[in-house]
Amino acid sequence: MSGGAPVEVERLGKRFGSRVALADIDLTVAAGEIVGLVGPNGSGKSTLLRVLAGLLRPTSGRARLFGHDPFLARETVMRDARFAFAPPALFESLTAREHLVHLVGLHGRAARPPAAAIDGALARVGLAERADDRVRSFSFGMRQRLAVAQALLPPPRLVVLDEPTEGLDPAAVLELRAILSELRKQHGVAILLSSHLLIEIDSLVDRLLLLQEGRVLFAGSAATLRAGSERLVLGVDAVERGAAALLAHGFAATLRSDGTLEVANGTLTLAEAQTLLRAAGVALASFHVEQRSLEQLLRERLAAGRPA
Amino acid sequence: MILRLEFLRLVRSRRPLMALLALLLFLALMLVGFWSYAQSRTHGAVQFEYTYENRSYFNGLTFALYAFFFGFVLLLPIFAAIEGGAQIAGDAGSGTLGLLLVRPISKTRLFFTKLAVAWGWSTLLTALFLGAALLLGLFAVGWGELRLYPGVLQSSDRPQLLSRATALRRFLLAWPAASLALLAPLALSFWISTWTRSAVNAVGTAVALYLVAHVIVEVHFFEALKPWLFTSHTTAWRALFRETIDWREIAGHEVALLGHAALFLALAFRRFRRREEA
Repeated sequence: MSGGAPVEVERLGKRFGSRVALADIDLTVAAGEIVGLVGPNGSGKSTLLRVLAGLLRPTSGRARLFGHDPFLARETVMRDARFAFAPPALFESLTAREHLVHLVGLHGRAARPPAAAIDGALARVGLAERADDRVRSFSFGMRQRLAVAQALLPPPRLVVLDEPTEGLDPAAVLELRAILSELRKQHGVAILLSSHLLIEIDSLVDRLLLLQEGRVLFAGSAATLRAGSERLVLGVDAVERGAAALLAHGFAATLRSDGTLEVANGTLTLAEAQTLLRAAGVALASFHVEQRSLEQLLRERLAAGRPA
Repeated sequence: MILRLEFLRLVRSRRPLMALLALLLFLALMLVGFWSYAQSRTHGAVQFEYTYENRSYFNGLTFALYAFFFGFVLLLPIFAAIEGGAQIAGDAGSGTLGLLLVRPISKTRLFFTKLAVAWGWSTLLTALFLGAALLLGLFAVGWGELRLYPGVLQSSDRPQLLSRATALRRFLLAWPAASLALLAPLALSFWISTWTRSAVNAVGTAVALYLVAHVIVEVHFFEALKPWLFTSHTTAWRALFRETIDWREIAGHEVALLGHAALFLALAFRRFRRREEA
């Protein structure tokens, strides 16, 4: 395996007939990094992951895994990359153990981990007691766990998981986070996660890629996204006069549905607000600083639909 | 490991059991039909003898040959097509083709493993069907010489007589010849299944094409088309049941079948290599 980055995507585009599924996507995932791919249904997340898996051929641009084109050198890149798509496709007629044994067996004798590793992976995702049950008897959550387990064997250098938290109970989500953190910290594995719910993965990821209609709306760290996101919320006795007073001094205030005024924090200090409002004859009844969640911020980006 | 995996998946699926049950049911129906036909020919006496009046001779071997012939024409290609459709289109539809392709296995190896499993199963099914037909013929009708009269089973224009031992050896030869003939509809089904993600569509289309090709071969009007259709060659194994076997004729048909199968498989392989899994 050559030494390219686990994932390198440059100006990637994918069309299905006249429909643009992906356009001008740039993405890099370095070793030991966790990147989150976020966007609503139909935003192109799964298409991007399938291009990376070599299952789809890009229409334009290029994708490389470890320096190789995944469509042309799929067999080579799959020695070190593991993919799990949503919804998880599994061999229904096999037991969970057989499923892992046979998938892992496709890596050849040399790469095949011992049986204990397979038992360990099943135990890690909470399927030890169901190891010898047929997959077709599994609930959706159990299938998702098995999909995660199969992505851990043989030990990978890149893990790509499509909607991995879907169908998992809260305990399983926590366990998944622990597994992924461990993979990154102890083994330097690069991880790419997709989700339509940022809240499920925001504590894990180093960087985010927000997609909408196949285009990147935001790419960067969560800290970058949060920068300037704090809001000063002011409770006043006359909102219209208060907003006009602030605007007259260059501070745009938004009227919220609860009758308070909202101003971007950092542009206006509390002392300035008090002075300006008092001069306009408006009494300041309350104030607090509001930190919006990443989910809210991304939703705003999606609603605005503006590329970052 | 991929061969073991594909074999295990086939064995665990319901397809083998369904195919076996359907073939056994078919044999039972054939037996009923055979019996009632013999009864009508012999005015209720059910004597399994050739007479000038009834121009028929029935015993376990003739039953087995009739049952195998009709089962081969009507059912075995369908089961071969089902297997072909399930291997690629079925896997694509359920997402398990993608599951395999994100492991380090070449498309070439995957394709030929799937083909080997599907054809291996078709060959085994042919053997089981033939064996069941012979056993049922033995126990329900009783064995004797194999006498064939000019008709659907026998392309010669004069009656043929094979001793029991010779006939059994010919049945043994008919097995690989018929199995080879199944490769053509199987390959057709494989090719169609590389164009779709629905096993039902792949199987339905392959079976429809097989039936149309089969009908065309039987209709005099389409004489000019016959040399181009694989169904002109699929029942060439019938010539094994002549007193003197014309090996050259049989080899010619088998080569033609292999040519058709090779063409379908080449097209299927080309498409499979380029195919995207959305």
